[in-house]
Amino acid sequence: MDLTTVAKNWAPRALSLLRVVAGLLVLQYGTAKLFGWPAVKMFENLTWTSLFGVAGMLELVGGALLVLGLFTRPVAFVLSGEMAAAYFIEHFPHGFFPVLNRGDLAVSLCFTFLYLAFAGGGPWSLDAGREQT
Amino acid sequence: MDEFCTKWQSHFLSVLRIMTGLLFLEHGTSKFLGFPHVEKVPETLSMSGIGGILELIGGALIVLGLFTRPVAFLLSGEMAVAYFFAHAPRNVFPLLNSGDAAILYCFVFLYLFFAGPGPWSIDAMMKRK
Repeated sequence: MDLTTVAKNWAPRALSLLRVVAGLLVLQYGTAKLFGWPAVKMFENLTWTSLFGVAGMLELVGGALLVLGLFTRPVAFVLSGEMAAAYFIEHFPHGFFPVLNRGDLAVSLCFTFLYLAFAGGGPWSLDAGREQT
Repeated sequence: MDEFCTKWQSHFLSVLRIMTGLLFLEHGTSKFLGFPHVEKVPETLSMSGIGGILELIGGALIVLGLFTRPVAFLLSGEMAVAYFFAHAPRNVFPLLNSGDAAILYCFVFLYLFFAGPGPWSIDAMMKRK
């Protein structure tokens, strides 16, 4: 078996892996914002209806759905938009370069989710299970 | 809708590759070319300096889409090392050790290693000839 065949077979699985990891990273921000776990000083005394609270809800529900791979395309699309908003509201005012405004993660998540919106959840997902039945 | 997505999927793979490469390249240039200017510039042969060389050259190659698979494999490994050496000792949670970007890059590059560069790349141009 040559490398191209291996790559072809494993690319969809690596896509699922990327989806799960990106979902977990986002989920973590959701739980930190809404449940204070893990505890972050910046997110203390956060109300659910504030801008951060709404972002937290998207991250909590969206992150969980991405980890499971349920409704991947619409969820990834919404989260991609959320990350773009997060970048321009939270990071961009601090400087043009992501190295300086600490917006690396937001940019990178934004484009990862945009790709997931097109590519879907891959084979290791509830979406794939739903299609089979 | 599905048809539309399938049609454009590979192009957005290229978009993801270029954006990730640019973010990476930026870390390399800030360490070596002083642009954008950052406070702490690491020594060239330190761990972070060697990381910078990989980021500079690897990031540029990823943006161009040249030798994407081997380069992505290397950079994925670099990010795993960066996470476990620089971030993991500080805290278990990526949110608190600020290692989330490293994790995400690691898995994006791993995916690029398997998926390849997509149509908007030098690799794809050379194949077409």
